[in-house]
Amino acid sequence: MRILIVEDDIRLQDSVAGMLREAGYAVDVTADGAEGLWYGEEFPIDLAIVDLGLPGMSGLELIAALRKASVEVPILILTARSDWKDKVEGLEAGADDYLTKPFHPEELKARVSALLRRAAGHASPALAFGPLDIDLSAQRVRLDGHEVDLTTYEYKVLEYLAMRPDSVVTKSELSEHIYEEDADRDSNVIEVFIGRLRRKLDPDGELKPIETLRGRGYRLNLQGLNGGA
Amino acid sequence: MAAPEAAANDGRRRAPSLRLRLGLLGAAALAISLGLVGLALDAAYQRSVESGLRQQMETWVYLVLGAAEVDEDGRFSIDGDLGDPQLGQPGSGVYAHVHGGTDHWSSSSALGQSLPEAATVPAGESRFETPHDKLPFYRFRYGLAWEVDAGRRYPFTISLLADPARVTDQVRAFRAGLWRSLGLAGVLLAAAQFLFLWLGLRPLRDVAAEVARVEAGEQEQLSGEWPREIEPLTRNLQRLLDTEKANQARYRNALDSLAHSLKTPLAVLRAQLDHNADATTRGAIDDMQHLVATRLQRAAATTRRTLAAPVPVAPLVERLAGALRRVHSQDLRSLDVKIQPGLDFYGEERDLLEVIGNLLENACKHGDGRVWLHAERLGETTPGLRPGLQLEVGNTGGPVALERYLARGARADERVEGQGLGLAIVSEVVSAYGGGIEFDGGAGDQVIVRVRFPST
Repeated sequence: MRILIVEDDIRLQDSVAGMLREAGYAVDVTADGAEGLWYGEEFPIDLAIVDLGLPGMSGLELIAALRKASVEVPILILTARSDWKDKVEGLEAGADDYLTKPFHPEELKARVSALLRRAAGHASPALAFGPLDIDLSAQRVRLDGHEVDLTTYEYKVLEYLAMRPDSVVTKSELSEHIYEEDADRDSNVIEVFIGRLRRKLDPDGELKPIETLRGRGYRLNLQGLNGGA
Repeated sequence: MAAPEAAANDGRRRAPSLRLRLGLLGAAALAISLGLVGLALDAAYQRSVESGLRQQMETWVYLVLGAAEVDEDGRFSIDGDLGDPQLGQPGSGVYAHVHGGTDHWSSSSALGQSLPEAATVPAGESRFETPHDKLPFYRFRYGLAWEVDAGRRYPFTISLLADPARVTDQVRAFRAGLWRSLGLAGVLLAAAQFLFLWLGLRPLRDVAAEVARVEAGEQEQLSGEWPREIEPLTRNLQRLLDTEKANQARYRNALDSLAHSLKTPLAVLRAQLDHNADATTRGAIDDMQHLVATRLQRAAATTRRTLAAPVPVAPLVERLAGALRRVHSQDLRSLDVKIQPGLDFYGEERDLLEVIGNLLENACKHGDGRVWLHAERLGETTPGLRPGLQLEVGNTGGPVALERYLARGARADERVEGQGLGLAIVSEVVSAYGGGIEFDGGAGDQVIVRVRFPST
């Protein structure tokens, strides 16, 4: 999942970005509202974290501009002003949730996770596909009750597919959503992650959890996971 | 500016109103003036009546002289009718008496009357006397020397006596009319005086009403043209109001800036500390965060009570409810809002937002997603007093031991409760307004928080 952080305090920007990267998200950062709008319009971000007190284009203006540009990703307001007036104005401008500084890192991660989940139409952080259980909050994956050890990128790929269980996800889309803008991307690496995931989630080759639709992309194989394959 | 009831409630006696002072002074001056005028007119009229009587008595003297005859021996007699029936009718109240020479004479009207002795008056002179202890009549005496043919001269004194009732009856009738007229004039003048006072003091009442409206936030500044005499007062008042508003804004902005500038470094510190967990330092950060969020909030709130416009509660709650429905779209099952029509909050909009926002947010986060808010006016509407406000925010699916959130930085669940500051902030704001919070376990699994903002 790719997250855009628009925060003018560089120390906090670094801190939040590091925290989210550590949690497995691809993170793009900017300190400028106008640049944040450009990021939102040009790149396939999954969530934006916007500080209200931005210089130049304010956070409220940025949120309104993103919505006007039909950027429908969840937006989390980050504000040092704890006033409800600011929160309400932010939410009325199009934001989905708010977090007041100073915040607990765990709370930020929980809000981000909940917003991403909500955007994908999942009410619960626990997703279950037959024997496969994914806990989005704890970023844990279990197969038949046994925890599966995944790397950060393997988890990112699985989470992205699991959030869109009925959609075909192209390789480039996967690449765009799990890598940051500045990252050195290699589309072949996605195939490597998919291959590793298949081996870890289906060591016996019975479930076939991830389908490959030739020339189109990948999709979570719900039939296979639910025992219909 | 002090609330209108403050002076009445602080135990001091209120100074009498200007209208009362001027009214009493005016009424006293009017009563004294009318009294003196009445006395003067009364005395003047009495003198006038007495003067008329004196002229009448002189006339009677001439009537007596005209009918008088004195013979060679100095005997006095009246020939024929005196020409005025009053002198001929016994007990008529007008009596003539002549003495001197070798004789004395009394008019027929004096029959049966005991007339006082009268001293003689030198010839050619007259005396007029008003009644006194020894003289129960008005008396006019005229001295003359009657010369007979032999060249002898006989001195006579003609006395005319009149019953005092001739004067007192007239004076009494005049006096009754006089005081009636003066009383009526007094009433009319007093009414005119109160009308003048009412009109004259109207600009002051207008100033007071405008200041009250500015204080209530219904208007920004004193408006209109003012009489020259009070224009310096209104000008200085306006300056004072402007200064007060500017100070409030400056103070609030300074507190906001302080809170804002402290929170971002705190966020950085917290993010770093969570990597290197240190319970003591983390506790200190929590304390700082709590102080910034609650004490600064309260300090800002305490500056906002005066000059605050009435804030309509319904639209504000609708905005909040809309925002919270968006945030809690997945776990909020119902959010019922019931607000008394025309309900206003007299304070800062942001303070009410803080209180309702935090209460509703807590209710949305806890329980099973069924939340309600009821708001109504607190107490009766009293003239000069801005009504209070009662809020009730509740949810089902509790109970939660809410009181403990009011303790410093207490938190129920990090992920749900967030920073654990919501109710603490509510408590600070409400106490800054002199209000109170009450928790109620409600029926079954209900959790109800009631907040009361008193009238001001």
